[in-house]
Amino acid sequence: MVYYVAALSLILIGTYAVLTKKNIVKIVLGLSIAETGVNLLLITIGYVKGRTAPIFSDPSFRPEKMVDPVPQALVLTAIVIGLAVTALALAIVIRLYDHHKTLNIEKIRQLKW
Amino acid sequence: MKKVLALASLAVIGFVLVSTLRLVPFGVNKMNPQVAERYLREGVARTGSVNIVTAIVVNYRGFDTLGEVTVLFLAATGLGAVLFDKRGKRTQRTPASLIVKSAALILFPLIVLLGAYVFVHGHLTPGGGFQGGVIIATGFLLMYMAFRSYDVSHTWLMAIESLAGTTFVVLGLLGLVYGRSFLYNFLPLGTANAVFSAGVIPLIYVAIGLKVGSELTGILDHLMETIR
Amino acid sequence: MLDPVLLIALPLLTAFLVPLVRRAWRPLGEALPLLTLLFDLALAISYVPRALEKPIVVIIAGWRPPLGINLTIGPLGIFMAVMILFVAVLVAIYSIWYIRVEPKERYCMLCLMLVTGSLGMVLTGDIFNLFVFMEITSISAYALTAFIRDRDGSEAAFKYLIIGSLASNFFLLGVVLIYSSTGTLNMADLAAKMPSVDPRIAVPAVILMVVGLGVESEMFPLNGWAPDAYSMAPTPIGAVFGAIVVKGAVYALARMLYTIFNFQGVIHFLVIMGIVTLLMGEMAALRQRQIKRMLAFSSIGQMGLILVALGLGTAGGLVAALFHMLNHALLKALLFLTAGYLVYHSGSKEIADMDGMGRRVPLLAVAFSIGAFGIMGLPPLNGFWSKFLVISETVKAHYVAIAALALVGSVIEAVYYLRVVGRLFFKPADERVRAARLPVSAFVSLGLLVVAVVVIGLYPGWVMHVLQPAAHELLDKSFYIHSVLGP
Repeated sequence: MVYYVAALSLILIGTYAVLTKKNIVKIVLGLSIAETGVNLLLITIGYVKGRTAPIFSDPSFRPEKMVDPVPQALVLTAIVIGLAVTALALAIVIRLYDHHKTLNIEKIRQLKW
Repeated sequence: MKKVLALASLAVIGFVLVSTLRLVPFGVNKMNPQVAERYLREGVARTGSVNIVTAIVVNYRGFDTLGEVTVLFLAATGLGAVLFDKRGKRTQRTPASLIVKSAALILFPLIVLLGAYVFVHGHLTPGGGFQGGVIIATGFLLMYMAFRSYDVSHTWLMAIESLAGTTFVVLGLLGLVYGRSFLYNFLPLGTANAVFSAGVIPLIYVAIGLKVGSELTGILDHLMETIR
Repeated sequence: MLDPVLLIALPLLTAFLVPLVRRAWRPLGEALPLLTLLFDLALAISYVPRALEKPIVVIIAGWRPPLGINLTIGPLGIFMAVMILFVAVLVAIYSIWYIRVEPKERYCMLCLMLVTGSLGMVLTGDIFNLFVFMEITSISAYALTAFIRDRDGSEAAFKYLIIGSLASNFFLLGVVLIYSSTGTLNMADLAAKMPSVDPRIAVPAVILMVVGLGVESEMFPLNGWAPDAYSMAPTPIGAVFGAIVVKGAVYALARMLYTIFNFQGVIHFLVIMGIVTLLMGEMAALRQRQIKRMLAFSSIGQMGLILVALGLGTAGGLVAALFHMLNHALLKALLFLTAGYLVYHSGSKEIADMDGMGRRVPLLAVAFSIGAFGIMGLPPLNGFWSKFLVISETVKAHYVAIAALALVGSVIEAVYYLRVVGRLFFKPADERVRAARLPVSAFVSLGLLVVAVVVIGLYPGWVMHVLQPAAHELLDKSFYIHSVLGP
């Protein structure tokens, strides 16, 4: 249960940061936090109480004692995608800082938002 | 005003999500007997990989992983395009202390070794190509931080990146030639729990490990060069 | 018989190989992307007859559908794929001469991956795979928006990136909710299981996914990124946005709402969203002074019209929506590509500076006018048929007021397009603008687009032949389920 609460709060905190923060680095951070929240939720969905990781490193391990492996595989993909987005966002932030010499979004706005 | 609006919309989203998640029980077995449970029951016998997550990532849902590798490649390419003419402008930073420098020299080979271990054993133990690649990239990050003039050859990074990506797709296409479909596991599965088992899975994971390692190093390199 | 997975695997392989090949032998490295796209287009066309007969289900990694990922190449998928590849080939030809900003090699790679991503989106049969390909498409779109690296381009890209990734986060959240209640990710399997899912989980999941796709498909409150991204990205990329990125998202939206969730009863909210999007887009376009911004807002307006037709939930409405998607893709590509050279020759993005270009570069101005007349819906061109179909189907579905509003939108559109065409031909030309000839690359790509626009306008029956089975594929859920999972 606490995992649901944590995941939801991460999603909401991250989205809040994206919507209200003025500093563009903080906006990117907010995006990462929200992504982490979704990933945590995904992994929580697959958890089954009292079961272990789905790796049969010993022949005595039984499939009945293992958690859902699919969310773990999906979350790996989701993390990598989040990383890629963050890296590209930071590159664009560097460009923006070059042009404007500021990270404050209100001073950057040339275009209509 | 903007904050109030943001809070209001977040309250709506939060309320919807909370009321939805109340219907999703926590810690209860929700596995679909035709999908997730079949992976657990048949996975080892049919893919040869004892790590079922790896079996799913590389084999059952290998197409996703190809997409995932593409996303990383895309990030590295996009970063290179966006920061194109900023190359080579690396400026002075505070030099690292002697402790950091000597520790980095000792740790760097060990970190790379650990990374290689993690991706070579991806089908046996927790971890895999992505995790191993990230570990290798942290080794390079340590070197960047310890030595001001440390530099990795861009040509080599680019070559490894391209070759590893090509290897993945070519292995997939070989599956089409020697097997029945794209990414088909056409090599013998071997005995479970051995390093040389699970057919193409370890090969693909090694390619992914090299690719992720070189890509992340490239990304770090690009970002480091813009520090002033 | 080549495996259809090559449609996706080949551009990807080329994208990985381009840097290596370019270092080995430069001319081949430069020609390779175009050759791959041409081959892919030929391949896609060769699958059309088979896909029309019976959806081709491609198994990947040897695991049958709910277990593994599969591609489902039905009439709808192959129609979208051919459309995407046709525009991609033309944009690639056009870019040969037009793109002179370095690094060209990375531009090619990003474009190839964008095409791969959108092909994956329209062909895949797995919902998480759809998410992955959507991300490939949008991340390459972010990078391409920032490609010129000027001030406004970076800002537009940042804005697009933030809105887009927030939206894809919501989409992923929707996928998570669905997985939690069905335990499967295969679209056909989901479609079969959906009726038994608690609507209190299904409805929020759908809302999250529609929000996620709404950003890319330029639905009304979520389209703030579009005008900036369209106008600040390199011009060929503006054409790519209008013809490929957005269309992929609309396809995904239709697939979600029609095939996976049986929401034909409540789909009508799309009609409302569509008409609002249409009117907002057209009103904003009327006020624009820059040609590319005007085209961007016009694109939003046309997407509104497509959403209206999609929301009708009838076979005729779907045919109209798909037909308008094709026509809009061709026409918007034509308009953007001509606008690129109009801007280039006049040296300004402002419409006011394009006076008399019709005398200086007549071919360009004629191509632009054909595009403008097509979008306005003048009879001999393709836009007429689809616009006529959309509006008549809206009336048939008893949305007379909506149809009237759509007509109002068309009138607004005619006003601002005619204003530009009038300036091109009937205003005296600026002394600074010299008469100029088009490079061969532009001539070929624009010429092919004009031919396509006119031919579809004269013989709409050919396209209808593909569109009717495509609409049927969307409406008949059990047909889709059975062709993937077997009877």
